[in-house]
Amino acid sequence: MKELCLRALDIAKEKGVSFADIRIVKHHTQIVTTEDERVSGIQDSESMGFGVRVLLNGCWGFAASKNLFRKEIEDVTLRAVEIARASSLAKMGSGVVFAPEEPHEAIFRTPVQKDPFKVPIEEKVNLLLGVNKEMLRVRGVKKAHSFMWFKSEERHLANTDGSFIESNTCTSTAECIATAVDEHTAKTRYFEAIPVNAGYEHIEGTPLLKEAQRVGEEAVAHLTAKECPQGKKDLILHPSHLALTIHESIGHALELDRVLGMEESLAGSSFATIDKLGKLKYGSPIVNIVCDNTDPTRLASKGYDDDGVPGQRWYIIKNGILVDYQTGREVCHTIGAEQSRGSCRADSWQSIPIIRQSNIGLEAGEEHLTLEELIADTKDGIYIEGMGSFSIDQKRLNFQFGGDCFWEIKNGKKTCMLKDVTYQAITTDFWGSCDAICDKRFWQPYGVLNCGKGDPMQIAQMTHGSSPVRFRNINVGGAKL
Amino acid sequence: MRESEARSIIEKVLKLSGAEDTSAVITGSYKASTRFADNAITQNITTNNYSLKVSCAYGQKVGHATTNELIDGALQGVVKRAQDIALVVPPDPEHMPLLTSDEAEKYHQLEPYFEDTKKFSPSDKARIISAQAEKCQEKGIRLSGAFSNGSSFTAFGNSKGLMGCYKSTSFEMHVTCLTPTSSGWAEQIGEDISKAGFSLVVDRAFNIAEKSKNPHDFEPRKCTIIMHPAAVAELFTFLFWEGFDAKATDEERTFLRGKFGTKIGGENITIRSDPADLRCPTISFQQDGLVAPTLKWIDNGVVQNLCYSRFWAKKKGKKPTGFPTNIIVDGGDTSVEEMIKTTDLGVLVTRFWYIRFVDPMVPSVTGMTRDGTFLIEDGKVTKAMKNMRFNENIVDVLNRVEVLSVPERTGEYIPVLAPALKVRDFNFTSATDF
Repeated sequence: MKELCLRALDIAKEKGVSFADIRIVKHHTQIVTTEDERVSGIQDSESMGFGVRVLLNGCWGFAASKNLFRKEIEDVTLRAVEIARASSLAKMGSGVVFAPEEPHEAIFRTPVQKDPFKVPIEEKVNLLLGVNKEMLRVRGVKKAHSFMWFKSEERHLANTDGSFIESNTCTSTAECIATAVDEHTAKTRYFEAIPVNAGYEHIEGTPLLKEAQRVGEEAVAHLTAKECPQGKKDLILHPSHLALTIHESIGHALELDRVLGMEESLAGSSFATIDKLGKLKYGSPIVNIVCDNTDPTRLASKGYDDDGVPGQRWYIIKNGILVDYQTGREVCHTIGAEQSRGSCRADSWQSIPIIRQSNIGLEAGEEHLTLEELIADTKDGIYIEGMGSFSIDQKRLNFQFGGDCFWEIKNGKKTCMLKDVTYQAITTDFWGSCDAICDKRFWQPYGVLNCGKGDPMQIAQMTHGSSPVRFRNINVGGAKL
Repeated sequence: MRESEARSIIEKVLKLSGAEDTSAVITGSYKASTRFADNAITQNITTNNYSLKVSCAYGQKVGHATTNELIDGALQGVVKRAQDIALVVPPDPEHMPLLTSDEAEKYHQLEPYFEDTKKFSPSDKARIISAQAEKCQEKGIRLSGAFSNGSSFTAFGNSKGLMGCYKSTSFEMHVTCLTPTSSGWAEQIGEDISKAGFSLVVDRAFNIAEKSKNPHDFEPRKCTIIMHPAAVAELFTFLFWEGFDAKATDEERTFLRGKFGTKIGGENITIRSDPADLRCPTISFQQDGLVAPTLKWIDNGVVQNLCYSRFWAKKKGKKPTGFPTNIIVDGGDTSVEEMIKTTDLGVLVTRFWYIRFVDPMVPSVTGMTRDGTFLIEDGKVTKAMKNMRFNENIVDVLNRVEVLSVPERTGEYIPVLAPALKVRDFNFTSATDF
């Protein structure tokens, strides 16, 4: 591999590029899906190829091919150079300013105890069908779905900095969904082996079978749950829910390429512009948001990003104030940073690296506080678990979220299940209303598998974590028709 | 890839397989995409890929495997992986026998393939983008967007002798013009790049951006809305996300439960699929070789057809339809200008953003307006408005459509032909700050 990589870099250098890299990537994905008592699909997919990126006269060119042999690598590299020349016809100022980076030689591997691709299909199928059986045992559950999803990535990254980086990552997850049906409607409830970078041991360590009955019962209870009230309520959000709220209202808003308008035509931009850096009150003083690409079990961790920058840990919101962004080597200079934060990733060999969300978490509260104590301290609120409906404007200000399961809180007690709960807020008002965070014993990471960004669209994975959190006086029920 | 090469690979796969039934699908594409922001090219890529999916069955036991390596040794590997899976999984009661070669007689013979579209080079695009970017720069406008072109190819074959091939080219340009206080958006999608008009697209986006400068607040409420085709496509596509699946509907898990054959929308609503419609052509067959559906899903407001898989159709004694490969919303003859003239108070929307289900059983959705939202008063567009969030029942919307325009090509996830619509009592529920 190294020889092939060096050949591409040599050709690029001969053509006068200021920077070039080549990524040779192999993906292996296996998805096992079941419906009730049947296996509805088993798909085992492999894809391998390489992409060459060059920076010539301050302009980018990128070309990719699945044909991994020397002549093709030479041709594709020349094509990338040719494309960079074309890009220079519409060049911005003096062109791309690409931050320097030390050369790195490294190997990074996800800690895997049990390779999921070597676990017999029968074992996976038996577990999923067993889970479905448990859900269907619950009276009122009319449909049970479950799946397992495994993905491995082998990456060789070489660039003209002199870096040569190998990484092997492996992601594992499983999920079950119960659907209950009555004469009026249908409602669902899910439970998952949270997506993490790990092997099959993660599936074995998750009580899918044990939780299946509860999942079924909560789907049925959802059918007859009380309607969502309308008005202002306190919200207590479980980490399984808050992960998506963090993702949409903080994660995307603080991708520096978006902030600079580079995603304007598709995904949009951000209200959190760089003139607000160090000043914007994003949240209340207890809101501390940390990016962490150093923990190998989290989905955005691959040792080094696709710019060849090592994984790091840094605050983007500190004591409620915007203090940094997620950056890549192309854009970090715009905020005066000499080095990138290492947030640049591509979703395959045929995609160009773009800034993607890191593993972003809300730091746990410093005071001793359990979920039960938080509920006991809340007079009129709603407790939400799981991800549901989510929508946010293209500058990441006005959002409306749902969830998977909801309970009313009255005078410090969970009283009954609610249905069709939505809440709507402006991002900074919402995070400004955060007044309590449970302590670190209750901090949990949740993986996001399908984050879409870019044009052509790229799908990335990352992890968001928090403890249960309370937000005061949030508008609920605005979606009621 | 030429059709003869694809046929040769599929035939090799069928020979290599020891399964009782085998099918293979090759999909491939060449894509060239030039992206720009702030009047400069920011991303410029070309990529070329093919993938081969092999499905092997022993009786009702089925396995699937995919690779993008199409050399002989790799073909053996992918066939073995599919076979190995099939041998160990439990029988799937919903697996259907392979379709026979007769099915191919139903495939349309369109080939919307234009060599010039494929050959349009990064330099060709860069020159066009550069000229428009300079024009925008002079006017103080920031131009962003993407201009892509390419070709795609699908070939299908099975061990019962059914074979099909489809190739096409496509181009897409979408641009956003930004002023310090506003944005405007426009797009063009097609197969033949000789019909592309990049400067016209930029002019449309520019005019919207100019008109939407300094937007005003508007108290969210129910009021008349006039939606341009891109907004209509974005909204109506959500009807088809499982909503028309016959099995899920019969199991009472979709909003259409109990509504087959009933009137759910106004008589002016007809939504159909036709892969051979030259305004919106798509592939003529599906992954299992079944011909792609040409039929009306909603006819004059009545639910006329649901999406039947081959298994569910057999179980229910129906004709299998498969799933739509394009969506055509029949239009009318009222222009957007005429719609505006007949509106006392309303909102004109360029497009929507981030629509998601709130409850798919209703089906209720929420989303935002984007890139040009205007107030209409007394038959005229009077001012630009800040963007707003809506919460709506899409089926209810089908009953509140007053007039429709001639449909246009659009569609983000699936090819769509949609008209502009004037709809009364659209439910805006909150506003944002820009």
